[in-house]
Amino acid sequence: MTGRKRDIEATEALIERLSRDAAPVHPLPHPARRAARWLVVALAFGAAMVWAMGPRPDLAERLVDARFLLEQGAALATGIAAAIAALAFTIPGTSPWLRMLPVAPGALWLSTLSLGCLRDWWQMGADALRITPDLACFGYIALIGSLPAVVLLWMLRRGVPIAPGWSIGLGALAAAGLGNFALRFFHMQDAALMVLVWQVGSVMLLALLASLCGHRLLRWPGRADAIG
Amino acid sequence: MEPNEPARPEGLDPVSLERLMQRTQGGDQVAYRELLAEVAQRMRRLVRRRAPWLKPEDTEDLVQDILLSLHRARASWDPERPFLPWMVAIARSRMADNARRYARRAAIDMAVMDLAETFCDVPANRHAENVVNLMSMQKAMDNLSPTERQAVELLRLRQMSLAEAAEASGSTVAAMKVAIHRAMRKMRKTLWKE
Repeated sequence: MTGRKRDIEATEALIERLSRDAAPVHPLPHPARRAARWLVVALAFGAAMVWAMGPRPDLAERLVDARFLLEQGAALATGIAAAIAALAFTIPGTSPWLRMLPVAPGALWLSTLSLGCLRDWWQMGADALRITPDLACFGYIALIGSLPAVVLLWMLRRGVPIAPGWSIGLGALAAAGLGNFALRFFHMQDAALMVLVWQVGSVMLLALLASLCGHRLLRWPGRADAIG
Repeated sequence: MEPNEPARPEGLDPVSLERLMQRTQGGDQVAYRELLAEVAQRMRRLVRRRAPWLKPEDTEDLVQDILLSLHRARASWDPERPFLPWMVAIARSRMADNARRYARRAAIDMAVMDLAETFCDVPANRHAENVVNLMSMQKAMDNLSPTERQAVELLRLRQMSLAEAAEASGSTVAAMKVAIHRAMRKMRKTLWKE
């Protein structure tokens, strides 16, 4: 028997084995619908954390401040869009537009904060551009984003590891973005440059670190395992 | 068509493939078998076109990987979307993974072969080094299971092809591939620890 024929027979044997294992499966819902379910969990956890930490005393004032609302809206939109994109990256052949979804809200988020830096500088001078250490932001964002990150990872694992680095990186961006959204309801830090450096910086750093672990967290089952 | 490849009618149209996939998601084994056979045929052509340098056994290996991936991913196909772009996206991902794995395996094989050459061809005045290398190699081989050791002996030391080694050992080509892959990985770990 030639090697070529033997290889093809091995493929046919595999087809037989797989077809015997054809249990019914439920197609995964659209990434937007799955992201909506994730958002419920993430917002509930964020709200619980705000309650646990105690809302900031000037919250009522902030909630009618257009700049605060715009920045928070952009952060929330970036988180939601990143969750949809992360889930879309685990569905082969999905629209590339769905994967690019976080670009617009992300740009809006960075733009509003950058404009805020300019406005602060215009109003307060060089003092507005002073950066002081605020490392607690990183810890809070990681803490508030932890449960949403675990839930999203579980959801991503139900899909396909087509681009693990992108899926995990965007998933972390979503979780950390939501973490930052919740953080600003109890953390009294509104200077645009400080928010940009310590909060957005933490979100981006977490997303970058997570994307580097993408291939470890999401991967196809090894061939050796499959053959057993 | 390649010699020995089973004769099949011309490929199914995309709509028929989508119907088969829908029935597959519903648990229809007959539809699934037909779908996998059709996909195997198409993927064989795709792999040969995209990676013409692969040996036939590696092409078939990759086709099997793609079928296993389709099996795992079948819940991710949305019945309202076309089947072929979904399938091709999976195939591309597996081809990229395979290329990385292939390069890694080649590097491991080269390292082991270099070591083998070292202890076979060194001049007599490097006898001590020769003995140390031989002991390292022996130690690395000791950590292997009997199947893995046999795979190294047949494929690397006797230079048999996968098919010949499978026939000689009464095993299958797939099992030999797994055994040699595991053996090389274990040996690399042992040798790098030294």
